[in-house]
Amino acid sequence: MPLDYPIHERTLPNGLRVVVSPDHTVPTATVNIWVGVGSRHEEVGHTGFAHLFEHLMFQGSRQVGNGEHFALLHAEGARLNATTWFDRTNYFETVPTGALELALWLEADRHGHLLDAVTQESLDTQRDVVKEEKRQRYDNQPYGNALTDVYAAVFPEGHPYHHPTIGSMEDLDAASLEDVHDFFRRFYAPDNTVLTVCGDVEPDEAFALVEKHFGDLGGRAEGVREVLPQVPPLDGPVRVERREAVPNDRLHVGFRLPVDGTDELLAASMALDCLAGLASSRLVRRLVRREQTAVGAHAAAWGFVDGVSLGFVVVDVAPGADAEAVEAAICEELVRLASDGPTDAELEASIAQSERSWLGALAGQEERADLLSRYALLRGDPHVVNTHLDRLRAVTAEGVAEAAGRWLAPEHRAVVAYLVREDAREEAVA
Amino acid sequence: MTRPTVAPPRPWAFPTPSEHVLPNGVRILLHDVPGQYVLSLRVVVPAPLSAEPAGQEGVASMTSRLLDEGTSEHGPEELAELMERHGMVLGAGVSDGGLLVDVDVSQPHLATAADVVRAVLADPVFPDAEVRRVLRSRLAEIEQERASAAVRAMRETSRTLWRPGDRAATPAAGTAETVLGLTREDVVAHHARTVGPEGATLVLAGDLAAVDALGVLTDTLGAWTAAGRPDLGPVVAPVPADDRARTVVVHRPGAVQTEIVVACPGPDRSTPHGWAPHPVLSFVVGGSPGARLDAVLREEKGYTYGIRSSFRPRVAGGSFVTSGSVRSEVTGDAVEILLGILDGARDGFTPEELRSGVDFVAKTAPGRYATADTVADETAALALEGLPADFTTTNLAAVSALTVDDLDEAYRRTATGEWTVVLVGDADQVVPAVEGRVPGPVSTVDV
Repeated sequence: MPLDYPIHERTLPNGLRVVVSPDHTVPTATVNIWVGVGSRHEEVGHTGFAHLFEHLMFQGSRQVGNGEHFALLHAEGARLNATTWFDRTNYFETVPTGALELALWLEADRHGHLLDAVTQESLDTQRDVVKEEKRQRYDNQPYGNALTDVYAAVFPEGHPYHHPTIGSMEDLDAASLEDVHDFFRRFYAPDNTVLTVCGDVEPDEAFALVEKHFGDLGGRAEGVREVLPQVPPLDGPVRVERREAVPNDRLHVGFRLPVDGTDELLAASMALDCLAGLASSRLVRRLVRREQTAVGAHAAAWGFVDGVSLGFVVVDVAPGADAEAVEAAICEELVRLASDGPTDAELEASIAQSERSWLGALAGQEERADLLSRYALLRGDPHVVNTHLDRLRAVTAEGVAEAAGRWLAPEHRAVVAYLVREDAREEAVA
Repeated sequence: MTRPTVAPPRPWAFPTPSEHVLPNGVRILLHDVPGQYVLSLRVVVPAPLSAEPAGQEGVASMTSRLLDEGTSEHGPEELAELMERHGMVLGAGVSDGGLLVDVDVSQPHLATAADVVRAVLADPVFPDAEVRRVLRSRLAEIEQERASAAVRAMRETSRTLWRPGDRAATPAAGTAETVLGLTREDVVAHHARTVGPEGATLVLAGDLAAVDALGVLTDTLGAWTAAGRPDLGPVVAPVPADDRARTVVVHRPGAVQTEIVVACPGPDRSTPHGWAPHPVLSFVVGGSPGARLDAVLREEKGYTYGIRSSFRPRVAGGSFVTSGSVRSEVTGDAVEILLGILDGARDGFTPEELRSGVDFVAKTAPGRYATADTVADETAALALEGLPADFTTTNLAAVSALTVDDLDEAYRRTATGEWTVVLVGDADQVVPAVEGRVPGPVSTVDV
């Protein structure tokens, strides 16, 4: 049975796509904006820029002082933030209904008139803040750069997903005010933006408020290009080994997958569920429960739009166990899944867990708004929130086996192995 | 276009649950939250963590992790599969006040989920192989915690802040030493001593319109029985260490950042002085980029991605903790500025700060408690803390009535200037940089 969250859409003459989904159960409204720019648009020498730019969006605009965006919204009881990812940058706030227009006014001011307020000083400070974010989340964490290694190993040199959203210290250092102006002009425009209002508001009222504040915004996004063609699976195994002061060996086994929005990606993601995405998955049963050569096994599929998606399995090797033997066991299970297909119970579990987590994601206005923006921007259709589960339920055991065979075969894997450095182990014991 | 005016928010109250008691003593609190199709079920079973036998610290936590590793009806793998085929996710853990089991499940699977919850509470068999596996994975987890600067910092903070031997000074899930000594018998005995229906509260939140919730719960949790348990006494607040006002550097060679924690004992939500000022203080001191700490350390200096302050209530007692990380080179400056801001706040807050903090805390409440899981979590927390079901609403009214004096008094009551400071970073760089700028003696320990 399809879900039936109400969805109303309108595109303003300037190209801004507006989605409204009324929900009067709580006296709040979420404004959620997706701009069609992420790290996949960054060029060589400019990695990390989309994210640094996102920070500058909080430092003031034509009519809004530095720090005022947070202060004005917090004072009205808003919860707000922004994030940057490979395919997009999003900005969002959930406010008591009476503050909806203030939120739209603030967003319109920065999405239309950021450059009036950007200064060298705010760029320099936010560059430092972002470098601390990189140190905190990547460089100062055990395994912190493992996914960065996975992207580089799985995706071809020069491909948009080859580098991480956080970028490199050198490129962050090189970012200039001129880059900020150029980036804003190329990507921040109504025709490259989706704005969703979800919550305690009627569609007509929401459309009128958005029109009032965003209707005058001009500009065309000149940096947008067609997406790249599908990248085939790796044509042979790739291996990256790091020896570091980590607590235990950890294997990341990455794969190229079909692009977001395809049935084949759904099937591949269910295959990853069967392997390691669930508590009853094959690698959990075998390596964690029975052989006890691993202390944890997980898997995920991340859908991307630019010619390829990413799938990966992560296994924490138990202290004293042999990482190579664990990798061999993973490969065996990859082959077995492709040849035998999933059991009925595995398929049922994958679908039931996806249903619960999908319904859980849609339970709150904030995440519902984010999903509406996502599908409007990246798939051209916000109604995916209502139809996704039906498509998932239509995936068959044969489809899962086929996807596993085509995309998750051992010869298509890229392994990033973080191994305990022996001298570090001795240091720790001493 | 000029800045729009804001209409005042509509009155709002935390939803009131309907209350029932099953014949076996389990208290049931039901929240019908329309439109929430994933139901959130929580069970709290009060038992002081300090009732763990000496030397067995961690047994309560390990027992909670083993509840769903097999019942007399289902083996561990079979149980995992049963839960997943019904789209259930089950977690269990302990706080200083007792056991919390949480389950999220979509509406049609409620009956199965409730019966699984009954079985794991009433009838876990703790297979020896699973006990050994879970203990081993806790040992691996301890190593992972040690490798994380933030977790390592909190562990050292607890050890320094609370009196040696106090349960709060040791990690809730135990140390390598205590976990290595645990046996299946310890787990079985702990379960028998602490887990039973009397005194337990079950919270169910979500769209219950099409569900005979009470009937389902009576048929399932109503069948939960257990032999009589000893009186374990009340949960008591941890005792602060006499020498807590000092600085400990945890040496992490080559670290590119220093993880900073500054802490002192704080109140729980039952404090006779009133809980209301504390979330407001958390916000104005360290709850946003414009708060006192980040306005300087992040937005002016660019030293950090963010420093947060928060009051962290336990069932009994609590702490006031400020934490975050800065690049290694600026550690000395950052610590001095941070302590200066925390101490300087004793001079008082401004009416503007009061207004912004009160508005934030009061006006975000409807959004913070909009989903079944957040409602269930709050009601379960209130049950474990022994607070009335209308606490959240009456506390919000008290927040709105706060004055600057209330804030100042609450802050001064907690922030006496006797700070425990823990710095996880490269000691060769950190120790010389902070000497003379931090409270008490500076000692260094290995990571």
